[in-house]
This record gives sequence, C-alpha cells and structure tokens, in this order.
Amino acid sequence: MQKKFITYCLLFFLPVVVVLVGFEYTTRNLPTTYAKIGALSENKKDKIEIMFLGSSQIQGGINIKYIDIPAINFASGSQHHREDFAIFKQTKDRYPELKYVVFELSYAHLEIPHNDKTFWKNAVYLKYYGVNAYERNTYFKDKLIYISNPDLFSRQLYNFYISKPVKNQFTLNEYGFNELNDTGSFKVLNYDTSKIKKNNFSIRTKELPETFKYNTFFFENMIEEATSSGLKVIIATIPTYTTYNNARNPNILRRRDSVLNKVKQTYKNVSIFNLEDDTINFKVTDFKNENHLNPKGAEKLTKMFNIFLKQEVLDD
Amino acid sequence: MLFNSFDFGLFLVIVYLLYWGLGSKRRTPQNFLLLTASYFFYGIWDWRFLGLLLASSLIDYFAAIKIESSSSKVARKSYLWLSLLWNLGVLFVFKYYGFFVDNFVGLFTDNPTANHYYFWNVIIPVGLSFYTFQTMSYSIDVYRKNIKASKSLLEFLCFVSFFPQLVAGPIERARALLPQFKKDRTFDFQNSKEGLRQILWGLFKKIVVADNVAVVVNAIYASPEDYGSLSLLYASALFFFQIYCDFSGYSDVAIGTAKLFGFKLSKNFNIPYLSRSVSEFWQRWHITLTKWFTDYVYGPIIKNTNRNYFWKTIALFISMTLIGLWHGAKWTFIAFGIFQAITISIERIPFKIKGKNFNLIMFLTKIPLALTVIYSFALIMTSCIFFRAHDIQGAFSIIKRIGSFIPSENFSLIIGWKIGFVILLILAEVFTRFKAYPLFQLEKICSKPVRWTIYYCIILLIIRFPGPKEQFIYFQF
Repeated sequence: MQKKFITYCLLFFLPVVVVLVGFEYTTRNLPTTYAKIGALSENKKDKIEIMFLGSSQIQGGINIKYIDIPAINFASGSQHHREDFAIFKQTKDRYPELKYVVFELSYAHLEIPHNDKTFWKNAVYLKYYGVNAYERNTYFKDKLIYISNPDLFSRQLYNFYISKPVKNQFTLNEYGFNELNDTGSFKVLNYDTSKIKKNNFSIRTKELPETFKYNTFFFENMIEEATSSGLKVIIATIPTYTTYNNARNPNILRRRDSVLNKVKQTYKNVSIFNLEDDTINFKVTDFKNENHLNPKGAEKLTKMFNIFLKQEVLDD
Repeated sequence: MLFNSFDFGLFLVIVYLLYWGLGSKRRTPQNFLLLTASYFFYGIWDWRFLGLLLASSLIDYFAAIKIESSSSKVARKSYLWLSLLWNLGVLFVFKYYGFFVDNFVGLFTDNPTANHYYFWNVIIPVGLSFYTFQTMSYSIDVYRKNIKASKSLLEFLCFVSFFPQLVAGPIERARALLPQFKKDRTFDFQNSKEGLRQILWGLFKKIVVADNVAVVVNAIYASPEDYGSLSLLYASALFFFQIYCDFSGYSDVAIGTAKLFGFKLSKNFNIPYLSRSVSEFWQRWHITLTKWFTDYVYGPIIKNTNRNYFWKTIALFISMTLIGLWHGAKWTFIAFGIFQAITISIERIPFKIKGKNFNLIMFLTKIPLALTVIYSFALIMTSCIFFRAHDIQGAFSIIKRIGSFIPSENFSLIIGWKIGFVILLILAEVFTRFKAYPLFQLEKICSKPVRWTIYYCIILLIIRFPGPKEQFIYFQF
C-alpha cells in the first residue's frame, strides 16, 4: 500500500516537476536586462570605472552607451537602497578600475520603506549578479528565477514565446538598455500637455518620519562605505515632469534636500547631479510618464551626465 | 519553515519517508522520529526557544503525574497552580510584559507613547500561545480527573510538540491527541490521499486567496486616510477573507499533514461566513480556541452561579476579552474581543412573545440565510477593523470614514480580476458545505481523470498566481 501510494505521488507530481523545470529553463533563456547586465559585469569587469545604482528612474534614465568611460548600470525597478548597498558591497571588488559610484536619491526615496529580505528580485541578483541580498545563507531554491515572480515571468514567457512580443520589449542593447521602448502614458496621450495636466498618476505624499530616519542613516552608511573604499560618490536625481514636481509634498522634498546638503558638506568625495527640476533641457517628449524618462530623454540625460562627469569629477 | 515553503515540502517528504520506512506498528521509533522532526521544525525558527518548549513540557508532565498521584487536595491544587503559573508566567513574560508595563507607566506620564518602558524587549516565541494553552488544558484535565496523566515522557513530548499543529494549532486536547501517540499507526491509503488533498486545498487558500487579497488590504490599510468609504469597506471585507484563508488554510495543511502520519486533528473552521449570528460565528471560527475558553473560562465562571443572563454575560465579557488578549498584547485585540462580547450579549437578550421565551439568535434562525449572513458578516467585518488597525484611534477613524460616505475617487479593485479567487473559494465551499473541505472524498463524485484535472488546475493556480509571500498571520500569536 505504501509503495502504491508513493508510486501514485511520483506519477502525479512528475508532470508538475517537468512543467516547473520547463518554465525555469525557458525563463532563464529570456533576453532580460538582468542577463545582459550579468554578462556585461563578467565580460568587462577589468574595465568598468563607474557603477550606477538605483530604481527604475536611473534604469530608464541612463543609457550607458553615451558614457565615455566603461560603465555598468545595476539600477532596476523597485530597487531600493537596501539592494543597492548589497550589490555595491558585493561587486565593487570585482572591478579593479572602479572609481565612481552613482547612488540615486529621488524626491521620496528616503520616505519609502526598504524592500524586505524576501524581495523577489533577490533571486535575480543571486542568479545573474552573484549578489546575495537575502542577508542569510542561500540555497538552491534561492536561485530559481521563475518561482521568484511567476506572475511577471509567465507574462514575459507568454509575450516572448507565444504572443507577438509587446513592441520591442526584448530589444536590449549590449548594456541592457531598451532604446526602443518609449511606451508610456505620455505617448498614449500623444504628448498633449493639456491632457497630461489632467492625467491621474500616483505620487508618494505620505510623510514617514521614522522611515526617513532609518533610510537616511542607511544612506549615509552607503556613502561612508563607498568613500572609505576610495571611490567618488555621485548622488543623482532624475528629471521629473512639471505636473509631478508640482504635486510633491514640500516637507518630504525639504527633508530630502537637507540630506543632500548635509552629505555635500560632510563628504569631500561626494558630488550631486540634481536635474529633478530641469524644465529647460527636458521637454514633454522626453518623458515616458510623470517620473520616468523615455529613451530620447535618457540619451539627453546621459550625455549631460557625461559632461558633468568630465567637468565636475574628472577635474578634481 | 513556513508550510507554504519549498523547505517545508522537502522536510515533509523526508520525515514521511523515514516515518513509514520504519514500518507500521513501530510506535516508539515513530514517536521518537516525530519528536526529533518536531524539535528540528521548531528549532529552525529559533533554536533558543527549544529550551522553553522542553521546559514547559517537562513541568506539565511532572506536575500532571504529581496531581494524579497526590491524595491530598491541597497538594493536587498546588501542582496544578505550579503548571498554570509556569504557563501563564511564560506567556506574560514573553507576550504581555511590555504591554502591561508600558500602559502602567503610561498612566503617570503626560505622553505615554513617547517612550517604551520595557526593561527588556524580547521576541515572542513562535506558537507560544498555542502550545501553552495545550499543555495547560492537559494539567487542568488531569486535575479534574477527565484524563489520566501520561506515564510516557516520549508520548507527552510528542503531544506538546507535534509539528503539524505546534506553531498555529489547532489547539488539541490531550484526550483527543495523546491517545493517538499511544497506539500503533498503520498506513492507510485513503487517509493519505485525503491528507494530500487537504494540504492542496489549504495551500490554495493561503497562497492564492489570502496572499493576493493581502495586497489590497495592506495597500489600503497603510494609509486609510487616503481612501473613501467604499475602498475602506472593500478592504475590510477582504481582510476577513484574508485572515480566514490564511488561518484556515494553515489549519487545513496542519490537519492534512497529520493525516499523512496517521493522526486526526480537530476541525478548526466551518465556513464562518455562513454564520447566521455572531454567536454562531464563534462555533465556526477557530473552533478549538472557542472550545478551550468555553471549557476552562466561561464554563467554570457560570458553574457556581444561577446561570441567568447577567452571569452569562459577565462570563462572556471575561472570556471574549481574554480571547482578544490571547491574540496579542494590543488594545485593538482587546477591543476586538469586547466588540464581539457586546454583539453576542445583545443577541442573547431574552424577551417574551406571547409567553414564549425568545432571543435574537432564535429570531435570526427564522429569516432567510442570505439576510442573516449579511447581518453577521457586517458585524464581524466591523470587529475585524479593530483586529487589523494599527491602534484604537485608527480603527475608529476607519469606521467613521466608512460611515461618513466619503466618496471613493480612487477606488479600484487593485488586484483586478484576481478578486475572482475569493468568489471561487466561496462557491467551492458553499457548494460542498456539508463536507470537511471541498476536495473531501472527491472520488465519490468524480472519475480519476476529472479529479486529477482538478488537482492540476489548483496546482497551476498556486504556481501561476501566488500573492506576495506573507507570513501566516496567526504565527505571531
């Protein structure tokens, strides 16, 4: 009876295991940004001089192609300072030529709670970057990509293998940047400023003083770690559209700016690249939505950053 | 090691194969294996609390033997008090100390929330409230001569630490579970199948329903002041389903796992949202806890009274407040318990019509189920607001916003069509309401291909649509 039961179980679960293995295999073969960046990190590790970290704003706002020195952009959607710090600490020694690190400090960065240790992208970091952001020992299961976010990867698998790919979703340059993906609410609204003015968007306005305290302390630790490693730190903020800027909570903004000022005065090796309110260089057609640049805006921003890098930092 | 984790799946397979690999009717080695596995399972969370678990078990084991062997009433009572004081003391130190000290000191300060006055700040051992209640009931039952004290330490240690129900129940009575460790277990094919089915159903409830619904609840309850009445009502209703699927899902996995090892655990939930009254709700929700408080708190209080409405209400308020407090050292839980007590006491108010005794509960049984379900669900949902809110003020503020009919300009389902999982759950449970769980004895109504298709569909939902992984809510209690 026991043997019969175990045989039944094996027969029953075999297809489940096969399907899961199939999903995992095909997911790993998707041409994702992570895979590209992982490969770049491995192939150019002896040359990389500058590392970008941050959230989707830096990910979509910096196209490494326009940076004159070898660079890598680890920024990724929903990535917060906890993950940034883990990636930075665990990769910096791989790059012997590393001189600069860019941390993001957007308007609400310090009042958004960090992701917890079970953040799904931890699996991606471990698999593609060899970075352990779990803050514990890792096991085989921690590297499984598909089950880290079945919803997202199922959609990607469907888009890539079955349906017609969502326009240019998988067209990435060698740095993992998608130069063709300009789809966003602004394009849908035909870049019509009167319609954009009326467009509903989400912006964090809730003040979280305790989170601010913790995040600021954490952020200063990141800077301390980077500067004590002999690196120059650049704190970047990415242009956001006027409607977004007008909707910001002034208290949150003031607190963030006070941290920027404090950091600038405290640390010698820190520069600030703040283009958040730049409405002269960045027009409506440079944005994907209220707080993300499109590839055209990214090209503009990266070129400006490149000049900044030469003038402000390389001159030191 | 959460039940919905890869780790637990691996652990279960290994223990299961070793357990039956020892052969049927090998009670002692099987018990020893279960004990080892249970201590390993508990130690994975925090090995430091294994000592506490062992100490609680040993104290109750020896206290019960002494209670049974002592002839003098004073001695018997003394040993009972030793057991109770230890268990309640452990609960107080780990769970309630900070709360009481904070509130006591707060009485003498202008700003009680400015500081915490804990002399030490300890983490609460996982499942503390569950296993201490289990061992306390054992000592009391031995004292009452309802059961015999266990002579076998191994069997008693297994009873206290049995891993399927160790950290979140069901809270088992010694008279139901302990004898199962004393008799030989033989492999039962049907029982094993039922075990796997119940585990599957429990995982569906937890991973697909509770964790997806949690996204809505967490988002709205994180800043309730940003949402209108409809959104708050929606989140509060969904919170009921979140906590129900979270906890009953856990109970299903626990009961199913126990079945795999040849054990029978008590039913803990019986479709609580079909209750006609709040009184009935407590006969369908966390049944083992309700029974515990009925037998050891409510019953003894009214035992020596004339059992009239007044004394029953006093006993009810004490029991429900303690049930609230059992969930955690927070005023919101106490308010949750008191709210339930108020509604139940109103439902029980006796009145006479044409010389016949009536109360609201009897009246509710005479009107259509759909109407009574709306009545009881509204009250239960309101009490759940206290359960979920961060503090009392927050709870009242949410209730006020709901009652003020503030427009929900930003109302959205948030999880979109996945809200359909709740409907799927309700349909499945309502149409199979006379069964232990929807997949129970499925072979009686479905052929094998249909059954396997159903299983694979549920597995597909679990793999494809899991919500963000949430800790089991009741682990914290």
